[in-house]
Amino acid sequence: MGRTDSLAKLALAYGVHLARRRLSRPRSQLDDLFDTYATDGIRALQPAERERHPHLVGCINCGLCALAAGRIGQTRLPDLASSYMRLYARLGEASSDIEGDAPDLEAAASACPVGVPLVEVAAIVRRMTTG
Amino acid sequence: MIGGGVTGAGVARDLSLRGLSVLLLEKGDWGAGTTGGSSWMIHGGPRYLEFDWDTTRLSTQDAGYIVSIARNLVYRVVFIIPVLPHDKNNIERMETAMEVYDRFQPLKKAHPHRRLTAEEARQAEPGLTPDVIGAVTMEEWGVDPHRLVYANVEDAVAHGARALNHTEVVDLVRDGGKVIGVRYRAADGAMSEARARVVVNATGPWSPRTSGLAGLKVELRPAKGIHIVYPHRISNFSISAESVDGRDLLMVSHAGFTLLGTTDDDYYGDLDSVDVLEDEVDYLLQAFERVFPSIRDYRPVRATAAVRPTLFKWRRYEDELSRRYQVIDHAAEGVEGFVTIAGGKLSMYRLMAEQTSDAVCRKLGHQAPCTTATSPLPGNESEMEPAAELARRCGIPALAAVKLQSRHGTQAEKVLDGGRAGRLVCRCEPITEAELAYSTRHEQVRSLADAFRRVGLAAGPCAGAACVMRAAEVIGTELGWSASQRFAAAREFVRGAWLGRAPVLGHAGWAQEELAQGAMRGLFN
Repeated sequence: MGRTDSLAKLALAYGVHLARRRLSRPRSQLDDLFDTYATDGIRALQPAERERHPHLVGCINCGLCALAAGRIGQTRLPDLASSYMRLYARLGEASSDIEGDAPDLEAAASACPVGVPLVEVAAIVRRMTTG
Repeated sequence: MIGGGVTGAGVARDLSLRGLSVLLLEKGDWGAGTTGGSSWMIHGGPRYLEFDWDTTRLSTQDAGYIVSIARNLVYRVVFIIPVLPHDKNNIERMETAMEVYDRFQPLKKAHPHRRLTAEEARQAEPGLTPDVIGAVTMEEWGVDPHRLVYANVEDAVAHGARALNHTEVVDLVRDGGKVIGVRYRAADGAMSEARARVVVNATGPWSPRTSGLAGLKVELRPAKGIHIVYPHRISNFSISAESVDGRDLLMVSHAGFTLLGTTDDDYYGDLDSVDVLEDEVDYLLQAFERVFPSIRDYRPVRATAAVRPTLFKWRRYEDELSRRYQVIDHAAEGVEGFVTIAGGKLSMYRLMAEQTSDAVCRKLGHQAPCTTATSPLPGNESEMEPAAELARRCGIPALAAVKLQSRHGTQAEKVLDGGRAGRLVCRCEPITEAELAYSTRHEQVRSLADAFRRVGLAAGPCAGAACVMRAAEVIGTELGWSASQRFAAAREFVRGAWLGRAPVLGHAGWAQEELAQGAMRGLFN
């Protein structure tokens, strides 16, 4: 099948599409979208998280925060920002790693040379792992 | 087989499964050329709907096969395709294209598109520009191409093939007009010769050079493509954007990082040294700034560059060139025993390998069916256990277990040497000492750059600052390196990585570089 045939079939599909749009009442598909991909860890950031996001992923894994505080759950502190905050597709399967007590994240953040807000990082990672 | 990209590895696997004796030679590392510089996607090719629906069907069908045989290596990638005022396609045309594409999506186990209003699009991705007037979604599959290549190599070896990386073919052995073998140089410089009834050239953009060894001319129109790499997901959704010259660009959210690309420019330079230019980086950022205004606030960690082996065509813009492929039996040109596979793309590697293997079998009079569409790749023979269970049993973080499974599938525990994981050597990724040692012992890792490809060493936000020295210790112990060899290996890796980082460093990037150079204590000197 050549390009002419392909374009003709696309033109026909376009006509059918326009007719269907005129005859039917569109409904929101946003919830469908979120439901379909929830198991794949594809979730939306909230507007406030989005605004702060470039700062949340600024960790360079220098390790200085570990000198100010220890672990969050079973996870060493730099790993929270340098690894878990990367929002791996299967992050939800690792929720057990960060269950438990949080150290003094404010103190740890104050040691960070690039200013990663660890309190916010912990909150977003926990939200993304638990859905 | 000459060439250890995904096509060469796929042909080696296919022929081995058919019972033939195969030697696979790669001058660098597995997947280090065009394959590794791809967009890391098994996609169905919606762009071909304008040209040839059969190509879309074939591409989608083969993507479905790959998804089935390599489940641990693939993950869903969901695009938001925003429509802005003055875009070349309005929302109705975009949705029409997706409605047509939906007919093919079940072939690769993907979901149909959704249509979003402007407000909904910004709920799904708040970082989109307020100028967006609507959007559609599209689902594709992401894949780790380095692991995909190695899984093919591993399976070929399991079925009797011999596979050597860092081994360069320097000449073809000829008997009159017939190619009867190859001369090759091993990593240690030793020269050897191997005889074969058929030699296959699967060297991608290097194909003209390889076929030139037989006095043949294979004509390509090589095209350079770069990607900017961010060491985290910028969004859980992938996003498309239109470039200043009307091309479709993609910001692809992979398992834990983002690729932003790609360019498509005729390339006439040195195939072994492809540089990323700051102009190319700005071209990509300019396009995404229009749909995702905060893109310049993010810190890239490096850029990649590769050359596509596009088939030659005169009087076409690069972007209009087909991604078709061609299996060439050079017997028609008077050279018996030599076959070239040229063109193509990652998504169709299995089909390309099947058709190349069919040509080889015809030449040999060998009757055996292709089974690569249904035979699972190593690590996919059974269902994977929950990552948390593996983590508990082996005493590693659940995230490390998740990543281990994504690389090795059901072989994850075997990699940990019966459950003894050792410390985490690279914490960003994360990678255990046991996995790195296993890859060195069993997966032909010979350098830190090989480890980057095989297990993702130093792929995270610190770009190796925290792990290269320890990784050099682990690999060096396996390979018997002296202390100075370990230091030299780490320095070689850091210098090589720098070449990909320099063009993308912004203000924050330079600050990181200063810290990293201090942390590496002399590796930059």
